[in-house]
Amino acid sequence: MIERIGRAAREALESFGAAGKLAAEAARSSRDLRTWWPNFTQQARQLGVDSLPIGILIALFTGVVLALLASYSFTGAVPRYLVGTLVQKTIMLELAPVLTGLALAGRVGANIAAELGTMRVTEQVDALETLSFDPVAYLVVPRVLAGTLMFPVVVGVAMFVGLAAGWAAALALLDLSTMEFLKGARLFFDSFDVRYGLVKSASFGFVVALLGCVNGLRARGGAQGVGAAATSAVVQSAVMILVLDAFWAMVWLLGRAR
Amino acid sequence: MKLRSNDWIVGLVIIVTAIAIVVSTMFLQQTSLVNKRLGVTARFRDVGNMQVGNEVVIRGVHAGRIQEIKLADKGWVLVTMDLDKEITLPPDPVVLIQSSTLFGEWQAIITRRERVPANREILAQLADVTDAPSGALDGAVMPDIAQLTTVAGGIAGNVSSVAERVRVAFNDSAARELRASIRNFAVLSGDLSRTIKAQSRNLDSIALDVRSGAEDLAATTAALRRTMSRADSATSTEQVQRIVAETERATKNIREASERINALTLALQGTEANVRGVVVKADGILGKIDRGEGSLGLLLNDRSLYHNSDSLLIDLRSLLTDFRKSPKKYINLSVF
Repeated sequence: MIERIGRAAREALESFGAAGKLAAEAARSSRDLRTWWPNFTQQARQLGVDSLPIGILIALFTGVVLALLASYSFTGAVPRYLVGTLVQKTIMLELAPVLTGLALAGRVGANIAAELGTMRVTEQVDALETLSFDPVAYLVVPRVLAGTLMFPVVVGVAMFVGLAAGWAAALALLDLSTMEFLKGARLFFDSFDVRYGLVKSASFGFVVALLGCVNGLRARGGAQGVGAAATSAVVQSAVMILVLDAFWAMVWLLGRAR
Repeated sequence: MKLRSNDWIVGLVIIVTAIAIVVSTMFLQQTSLVNKRLGVTARFRDVGNMQVGNEVVIRGVHAGRIQEIKLADKGWVLVTMDLDKEITLPPDPVVLIQSSTLFGEWQAIITRRERVPANREILAQLADVTDAPSGALDGAVMPDIAQLTTVAGGIAGNVSSVAERVRVAFNDSAARELRASIRNFAVLSGDLSRTIKAQSRNLDSIALDVRSGAEDLAATTAALRRTMSRADSATSTEQVQRIVAETERATKNIREASERINALTLALQGTEANVRGVVVKADGILGKIDRGEGSLGLLLNDRSLYHNSDSLLIDLRSLLTDFRKSPKKYINLSVF
């Protein structure tokens, strides 16, 4: 029992240590532009553009549900135009980055871990090293950069769609006028809301891609090892997304609130 | 071809997303790239909860937004407002900031100095020019909703206290008495109304009487005038002297008759006293008889005496009868 707990702690620390080490190596290898640039747009399309449908779907339903929840909660003396305020603030500050990040953690993190894990167990990574390719520059850097750049793109689209969906739901289902919804949405809007959501989502993309790479490159054995690496990547990414969400709230939001 | 396609799609998505985010942000912030804006700065000692992006209104109409809030020297705060280009500031403008909703939203109001509410604190803030930044409009903070609610809370407390006192004073019995008083007052009002109506009728009647009295007085005056004229004519023919002489004689006769009546009355008074004494004495005798005192009283009131007398008479009657039948039985006359 004690040995098992100690082993789990060691493995967790090893994962974080490996992630830190890989991040440092990726930073160093990012100077090798010719190696990672040809793969960058492919990874950007695969991790970002191809993830747009799921991000849009999540934002669509989130916006509608938020408008309905706000209307349900705001009764009595609370003016109905605050539905717009709640939808705008919640979508931009929290739900679009976190829900999209969690969805992409499953899709992107598992994809990267499975792909790199398969390359690892089939010794393709070793072959790259034999061919004097830097596997970090070739495999990790384009994925991490694509994740860091494209997550904000997907989240930005999700913000736009979520707000539009909340607006449409307010018009169609809540008998709210466009002027009322816009008044609420503009009431407490600050461009900081957009910056906060996008920066947070960029950190999510960086962590998800990095943890996918770490778990994939550490995969051992056969298909089982690849599956375990993909599972670990998804779980660690989800946990790290929530940790980073709290981190940004404490560091950035708390500072502004004061 | 494949790489170019990826590049194109990724680039397109990034550009479109960036444009969408920027346009959405500008739309929500109501920022315009086309219209030039008019920047106006106002100075305050304190700006409350005013924030960048809050609304600026002139006479209740949206005129722009708060662009910047920054601390200045000498304890001032400078607020820069971004106004629409078409906006014309009112003459001698000042800026008032206040909470516009219960949910923390504030707004700045640009108005004429003469239209500022006559509040001592606000006027003091506007008049404060100590080390004031040049080129900035005078500004003041209107009382916060929290202050108003505090005052309103105090008023509500006082009203509650008064209501409690009223509730204690006007209990059920007081309410019943008040109800009865109101009913009595209604009855009193009815009575008063009827009395007034009756008095009004009486006044009408009195007025009629006065009118008829006046007419009678006029007739009497006319008759008196005629009598006076006759008296005037009678005086001239010595009829008056004869009338006066006859009247003196009649008066003397009446005075003598009166003296005789007085004497007769005095005699009657003496007779009355005698009669009263006789009546008193008879009343005393009759009282004694009624009470059974004296022989006559006993005779009248004692039933056994009556029966004895009655039986005595019967015996006497039988004795007389017997005496008539046989006198010799009772009278024994012998000569020798």
